Amino acid sequence: MISNKAKKEINSWVEKYPEGRQSSAVMEALKIVQSENGNSLTTELIQEVADYLDMPGIAAQEVATFYENYNHSPMAKNVIRVCHNISCMLNGSDELITHLESKTGVKTGEVTQDGNICVKKVECLGACVGAPMLQIDDKYYEHLTLEKVDAIIDGLKEGK
Amino acid sequence: MFEIEIDGKLVNAEAGEKLIEVTDRVGISVPRFCYHEKLSVAANCRMCLVDVEGAPKPQPACSTPVSEGMKVSTQNEKAKSAQKSVMEFLLINHPLDCPICDQGGECELQDVAMSYGSNVSRFNEGKRVIADSNIGALIHTDMTRCIHCTRCVRFGTEIAGIMEMGGTGRGESLKIEPFLNEGIQSELSGNMIDVCPVGALTSKPFRYELRSWQMNSTESIARHDLVGSNINVQTYKGKVKRIVARSNDSVNETWISDRDRFSYEGLSHSNRLLKPQVKFDGTWKEVSWEVALDFCVKGLLRSAGESNSMNSLGVLASKTATLEEYYLLQKLVSELGCENIDYRLGVKDTKNTINLESNVKLSDLEKIDHALIVGSYTRLEQPMINHRLRKAALRGGTVDVINSMQFDFNLALNNENIIIPCEIANLLASTLKVVLESTNQDVPEELNKLTITKSATKIAKKLLSSDASVIVLGEHVINNDNAKNISNLVAMLAKNTNSSTLNLSKTGNSIAADIAGFFPGKDGLDVNSMLGKDMNAYIMFDVYPEYDFHNSSTAIKALSDKNSFIVSMNSFYNNNVADYSDVMLPISSYYETSGTHVNIEGEFQTFAASVKAPQESKPAWKVIKVLADLLDISGFNYSDSSNVLEEAKHNIKQGHRAEESINITDTNSVEVIWQPSPYSIDALLRHSDSLQETKIGQINKATMNSSTAKHLNLGDKDDYLGVPVVISSLVANNCVFINANKSTPSEEQA
Amino acid sequence: MNEVCFKNIDKKEPWSLSTYEASGGYSVWRKILKGELSPENIIDELKASGLRGRGGAGFPTGLKWSFMPRNSDIQKYVVCNSDEGEPGTCKDRDILRFNPHSVIEGMAIGGYVMKASVGYNYIRGEFMEPFYRFEAALKEAYKTGLLGKNISGSSVSFDLYTHLGAGAYICGEETALIESLEGKKGQPRFKPPFPANVGLYGKPTTVNNTESFASVPEILAKGGKWFHDLGVKNSGGCKLFSVTGHVKRPANFEVPMGIPFKDLLDMAGGIRDGRKLKAVIPGGSSTPVLTADEALAMNMDYDSIENAGSMLGAGSVIVMDDSTCMVKTLTRLAHFYYDESCGQCTPCREGTGWLYRILKRIMDGDGKSGDLDLLNNVGSNILGNTICALGDAAAMPVESFLRNFSEEFEYYIENGKSMVKDNV
Ligand SMILES: Cc1cc2nc3c(=O)[nH]c(=O)nc-3n(C[C@H](O)[C@H](O)[C@H](O)COP(=O)(O)O)c2cc1C
Ligand code: SF4
Ligand code: FES
Repeated sequence: MISNKAKKEINSWVEKYPEGRQSSAVMEALKIVQSENGNSLTTELIQEVADYLDMPGIAAQEVATFYENYNHSPMAKNVIRVCHNISCMLNGSDELITHLESKTGVKTGEVTQDGNICVKKVECLGACVGAPMLQIDDKYYEHLTLEKVDAIIDGLKEGK
Repeated sequence: MFEIEIDGKLVNAEAGEKLIEVTDRVGISVPRFCYHEKLSVAANCRMCLVDVEGAPKPQPACSTPVSEGMKVSTQNEKAKSAQKSVMEFLLINHPLDCPICDQGGECELQDVAMSYGSNVSRFNEGKRVIADSNIGALIHTDMTRCIHCTRCVRFGTEIAGIMEMGGTGRGESLKIEPFLNEGIQSELSGNMIDVCPVGALTSKPFRYELRSWQMNSTESIARHDLVGSNINVQTYKGKVKRIVARSNDSVNETWISDRDRFSYEGLSHSNRLLKPQVKFDGTWKEVSWEVALDFCVKGLLRSAGESNSMNSLGVLASKTATLEEYYLLQKLVSELGCENIDYRLGVKDTKNTINLESNVKLSDLEKIDHALIVGSYTRLEQPMINHRLRKAALRGGTVDVINSMQFDFNLALNNENIIIPCEIANLLASTLKVVLESTNQDVPEELNKLTITKSATKIAKKLLSSDASVIVLGEHVINNDNAKNISNLVAMLAKNTNSSTLNLSKTGNSIAADIAGFFPGKDGLDVNSMLGKDMNAYIMFDVYPEYDFHNSSTAIKALSDKNSFIVSMNSFYNNNVADYSDVMLPISSYYETSGTHVNIEGEFQTFAASVKAPQESKPAWKVIKVLADLLDISGFNYSDSSNVLEEAKHNIKQGHRAEESINITDTNSVEVIWQPSPYSIDALLRHSDSLQETKIGQINKATMNSSTAKHLNLGDKDDYLGVPVVISSLVANNCVFINANKSTPSEEQA
Repeated sequence: MNEVCFKNIDKKEPWSLSTYEASGGYSVWRKILKGELSPENIIDELKASGLRGRGGAGFPTGLKWSFMPRNSDIQKYVVCNSDEGEPGTCKDRDILRFNPHSVIEGMAIGGYVMKASVGYNYIRGEFMEPFYRFEAALKEAYKTGLLGKNISGSSVSFDLYTHLGAGAYICGEETALIESLEGKKGQPRFKPPFPANVGLYGKPTTVNNTESFASVPEILAKGGKWFHDLGVKNSGGCKLFSVTGHVKRPANFEVPMGIPFKDLLDMAGGIRDGRKLKAVIPGGSSTPVLTADEALAMNMDYDSIENAGSMLGAGSVIVMDDSTCMVKTLTRLAHFYYDESCGQCTPCREGTGWLYRILKRIMDGDGKSGDLDLLNNVGSNILGNTICALGDAAAMPVESFLRNFSEEFEYYIENGKSMVKDNV
């Protein structure tokens, strides 16, 4: 079920588009619903979003599976998205990823046993001058070193 | 109009045309997969790349607009190498399993690969495999073969009007699939099989049966509705194996409904009546045709009694006979001196029913700027007509409806009036009043006392302000207490608003029945009068009483109780028929006989038999002819059904014109609309297992709102007239809308 | 340095309206609202400025704006492309973070010139900090009466909204971006029709890059000629270059067009200690790679870079020193295009995966002797045959990497390992 709070938030996006074009808000609507649902989507939720925006379910499903930022299986509380594209690679992102894998004890893409952390390799996040870098939630962490990464992970473990 | 040069030839082209339309017109072949002339351009397969002088890159012929002075090469090195490249890319992940693929032999990919492909594969990286899911009873998927042309997706959004297939994921993992596991639901879904250029979407009932080149193909006409869609019937060893659409822009374009595509399955149902049978002392015996016909003749003559009068013979037929069958049967009995003939078995009161001409061409229907639909869910009841209306709506036309239940139309409705059946005539009358007043004409007395409602004004305004409007009258009102009034009101409204009319209440081949004069003569009895009388004998043509009669239990009772001599010609065995008949003659079903269907335009569409009638069953027109011979009636020496058609054409009968009067009655009780569900309207459909398995085939519900339910003392676990109750606010108050795949009600309705 | 988009970068709260206005911001817009500037006037100035689209294709902005049907009354749109996703590119993010008002003013001016009363800024979904900054700036602008309907009693209306992406590089392609704005998958549309005729919601639309819009107010404030003369022939003005990779001080630099690459490299602190320059991708990952010698001899403007054998693109300079394994680098880039292909058209959907798999196989030590020819051939079979330029972007690096560093690839195929010993 989409909560009233979520609906209100979705409405604020719908208002940006011309009348009858409410499906323009589907990308945000899916994000809003996803974040309410522990960071992942289900077919039922996608259908509900589609119904709410008066669009075919399959059209919402197309969107939900086309873009990178939607999850379709249970996802960790904290998703650490590490760029491994060229500028970051040249600056050691591969070591960073290996380090993160050993630190968290799971491979990239997998969720730690406690459901706390998932490390994902992602394509360029548009912060190449800060390479190597990673993103958690809305925040970018740049010019990383292994020490800095340790501090970030420790922070997450303490629930900061 | 200007000239462009293609492969060195000068050809005419028109501004706005795409290159591929020009090459197709002049017969220059450009390979393509995603392009389909009835769908929007996607330009995604890139197979149609050609070289346009001045353009640095090869251009797709399907999306490139022509321009004056353009020089195009479809064959030079640049074009060829682009086409070859694309072909290779299409094949690297394709399974190349032609030998086990149902599409083998009729696959666009296979054909093009022969001419553009290379025979050595340079791809050694392991092919993509895609898991399939069950998408319903009609379409089988092999998505590993899909080339992502998106024709099926575009078919859904653009033609079927519901987006069912979509492309999920992206890049290499782009997958064409429907959402959820509900499968495909559209009434036009089978067309996806036709548009799919490869073996990704194939016919489930046909699967693995045969190769296309092993089959014979005959042109035929589908007979489940008023359109008469053009089809090809593909047969093998005397059996219908598959039906595909045949293009005819003035009738069905390139589409057919699922009903027309899959009903053939019923032909081989175990329930077919295959041998002549005669009832001796209450038990059925299989006999030879000679014996059976002799029995018929004797029985009929005996029933005429001493006076040798056929006044007491009744002749009833279903709505699905051919024009020739109607004509011959009618001729036979009139020669015998009998005028008791009728095919309107489902009509409660033939004196109070619809009588409205249709006067708009199917191909013009998509050009109308406004439609008023009265009493019809066109989408499921007349899918191809609905498709034309939808096209009109997509072009900016508006659609108003007057119905007793809200339906899931796949076109945008401008104004939806959901009212109880007894108010329909009032609303139309009040609309007519508005029309007459605003065009400064006299308002007939009957209309004077009417109050004008907002809805009436809206409907009238729309009809008056449109240049090309049509009023569509549907089946839901055939048994309305004001049916005749409604029919007359529509005719008058149309006349005064310059609208055309479309009468969708005469489905199947009813128009042919009218033309053939298959209705009671001057002193003849109609169906209900016959049943009310003590008829000595009946000839029943492909009648299935529990489905065909308005009130089946009364009909069955009337037919069984009285000691009438009953000859039944049927294509399927039926218990009730067996109960009341004395002879059962097995006759041809669809595609087993030649004949003629007359569509809503009045177009005679004649077809040949695609297969022989199975076992001992025979083409019905021949049975009637032989019966006539045996009865010593002259004038039946036809060698071919085309002779019958010729004669019928010279004897076209006019349906009787009703007087234009209005006299509206009110009803206070709950009103019932009984509409058979779309795949239950005739015997062949009822025997097509795949169609019955679909969502549409399963529709069986008596829908009413909660206050009606309360009034009738019903809950949503109850049945009403034998049909499960569904409580929904979509229905007008005091109305029960029944959409049943079961027999008609067996008790007098509430 | 730092004269246009970055002119306030060293000031306190450079993103605030007050900082922006203190340095002359919104003066052009206010003039327009007073009716002192005509659309024709503005287009002429833009044409004179030599401003070319900063999104990568380098199409003259003034000319592009003149293509919009200006005399009809139907709704039109201006759209800002802040989807920045090309590897190596990270300038738009900083413009949004540090100078959002220049984008707002640039878009408003565009709206006025092209009679488009509504604008959308499409910001990539991961750019949340820039998004909040931009939203805050929008709020300020609305509050101050710089946006809305009939702004400060004038006949000019302009409403501006943000739209967020959700993770798809292809949405940087302008027609994919339009699809995405409509709430669909980001699949590029074939052209023609061009967005100027059939764009967002089927209406005439112009899409420009963030930096293009951000440059407009300053150009109009100081004059087209002033801007033009900052740069060189065919490459007017100054431009942001993102210098990343193996340099000591990677950063965005706003410098005049035509500056020698050597100088730019110096500004970024030069190559890491003890290393030598090996290769440079001058315009973002989709532009051909150059050797050190080619790069060192080149100036940073459209023509010079083209003469050197590559493209200026979005000005994303990726610097590689001699520790770089070119096989690994190309494999990573090939993976990117494979991962980001939208999948609708055949050559890109099938070809990018094929390219990546061959390279991956080489990296896994299973390279075969014909692989390099095959790579080149598959690349050239994609090139020019796709709906949008992503196909080309995937193919071009392959050709240039193989041409300039063939011995490294051959070595890898033969030996199953990299020729570069301590590669990173
Ligand atoms: C695959 C692909 C990705 C692109 N990504 C971007 C991008 O992230 N940002 C951008 O401004 N332009 C991008 N472009 C270019 C846009 O299509 C378009 O040309 C540009 O936004 C126009 O703005 P401009 O004229 O101001 O440069 C991309 C093009 C392609 C083919
Ligand atoms: S299933 Fe068939 S029609 Fe649909 S996209 Fe695939 S190849 Fe095309
Ligand atoms: S037929 Fe033209 S691109 Fe597919």
